[in-house]
Amino acid sequence: MATEPLTFSRAMLWTFAGLTVLFLLVPILIIIITSFGNTTYMEFPPREWSLRWYRAYFQSERWISSTALSLQIAAGTTALATFLGTTAALGIVRTRSRMTRGIELFLLSPLVTPTIVLAVGLYFVFAPLQLVGSAFGIFLGHTVIATPLVILTVGAALRTIDPSLELAARSLGAGAWGCLWHVTLPMIRPAILGGGAFAFLTSFDEVVLAIFVGGPGATTLPKRMWDGIRFEIDPTLTAIASLLVLLTVIVLSLAAFSRRFLAHANAPRPDIHNLQR
Amino acid sequence: MRAGRRVPQPAATDLARRPWRPRNRLFFLPAVSFFGLLYIYPLGCLIWWSLFSPSFGLDNYRTLATPAYLQALLNTLEISSVVTLFSLLLSYPLAYALTMASPAVQMILLGAILVPFWTSILVRSFAWVVILGNHGLINQGLLALGLIDRPVQLIYNALGVQIAMVHVMLPFMVIPLYGVMARIDRSLVQAARSLGATRRQAFWNVFFPLSMPGVIAGSALVFLLATGFYITPALLGGSGQITIPMMIDMAVNELLNLGMGSALGVLLLAVCGTIYVVLTTLPRAKLAGDVEAR
Repeated sequence: MATEPLTFSRAMLWTFAGLTVLFLLVPILIIIITSFGNTTYMEFPPREWSLRWYRAYFQSERWISSTALSLQIAAGTTALATFLGTTAALGIVRTRSRMTRGIELFLLSPLVTPTIVLAVGLYFVFAPLQLVGSAFGIFLGHTVIATPLVILTVGAALRTIDPSLELAARSLGAGAWGCLWHVTLPMIRPAILGGGAFAFLTSFDEVVLAIFVGGPGATTLPKRMWDGIRFEIDPTLTAIASLLVLLTVIVLSLAAFSRRFLAHANAPRPDIHNLQR
Repeated sequence: MRAGRRVPQPAATDLARRPWRPRNRLFFLPAVSFFGLLYIYPLGCLIWWSLFSPSFGLDNYRTLATPAYLQALLNTLEISSVVTLFSLLLSYPLAYALTMASPAVQMILLGAILVPFWTSILVRSFAWVVILGNHGLINQGLLALGLIDRPVQLIYNALGVQIAMVHVMLPFMVIPLYGVMARIDRSLVQAARSLGATRRQAFWNVFFPLSMPGVIAGSALVFLLATGFYITPALLGGSGQITIPMMIDMAVNELLNLGMGSALGVLLLAVCGTIYVVLTTLPRAKLAGDVEAR
């Protein structure tokens, strides 16, 4: 498409788009900048810079134990959701039946189910089983909401791989499972890793299930932050929030990296549109 | 779209038609059984409890029709509508600009959208509490400048919730919009231009109608998510912005009323479920076709 001269309306469009991006980014940047302050109240921009609140976080036993709990839950969620999501995506993409679309919509529906409704249901189902207040209960809930993200990511990749490679493997004598293990799965490996990354972030950041199912017994990092924001905002929160942003950037970069460098020549470039489908 | 369709059919052997199909239906088993136990069963229990707790009948649903609950429903729908509208107004130009950007700019913009998208909603809501709060940055600044002598109320009201929720929901609108816009055949716009349409006419009569599937999908998605949203309204809303999710929290944690909590949950599920089913069964191709036929 030939580049058109910059007209007034085009300049307006770019200004508007730029302002919208600023609206998205500035609040996050403000938190990061504020986190380097040195006063007991939040100050922007800080007059004196320090790592005081980062130290406060790393030296607080309560914050660290909550972080460890969240990491455990997120690791478990990532493993189980990746398994459930990948197998389900294989089923969805490779089965041709009238039921398939229905099962797909069902398995994706936790994405739009209000988490608080699921949380209340799980809370009362878990209560008699002694699962309320346990990390295991939170892990089960997180797996429900993380699995659809894996299905979306892996499903999108499966739909775009070149079937002739699988045909070749089969015609050269590979069994169905051998073909799956040695040909199909390696081709979608970046998508599996990406889906796992999304599952990890979803679990690590999740609050609502952690509030209801975790109760006072199992306080995850986001749950402790939630309590902090509601009852006494202290600048340690800005440091933790900044670390969470950093974690997001790292995990997203790793996912992008795995796409670019682990991708098979024929592997798809998973694109963000797949999120909504 | 389905990979199955791309398999070359003329290769007549049974093997060729099936690259691998080791009992495909078996692959559904883990996820479907897990979801049955930990997703469908708890939601089913909610329906049961809404009818049977404390005693059988529609009493819980009758209570839903009382003014306090109706007000919460209205608040919820109002916030969702406002948030959807403003998200759309902000997202459309951004998504449009994204389709015209050079690959490098596109990468930067997508990063600027995806990082907030994956950043914890709690963190983003917290950022707005820090910025807009009574002792927040804006009030501190205004006080320091002597423009005001006591903090202005910027949160715990409708404005605060709406600003923060638009911030949280914006990427959910941009992504489907961009997805649809990127696939629009630009030669159609060029054709309109070469046939004498002004740039504005070409946009409004050709490009905009073709982008409608994205507008509808994005708006439905944002409305749906906003309706069930708990964290941001709970942190930034005031007593005038009690929403259904907050009512659920209150019924369960403060009133310990299992039946009402369940009935409210079922109400929310019904609203979101209806939108989801309509959205996913409305074929996108038909949607686009309708628009083209005009």
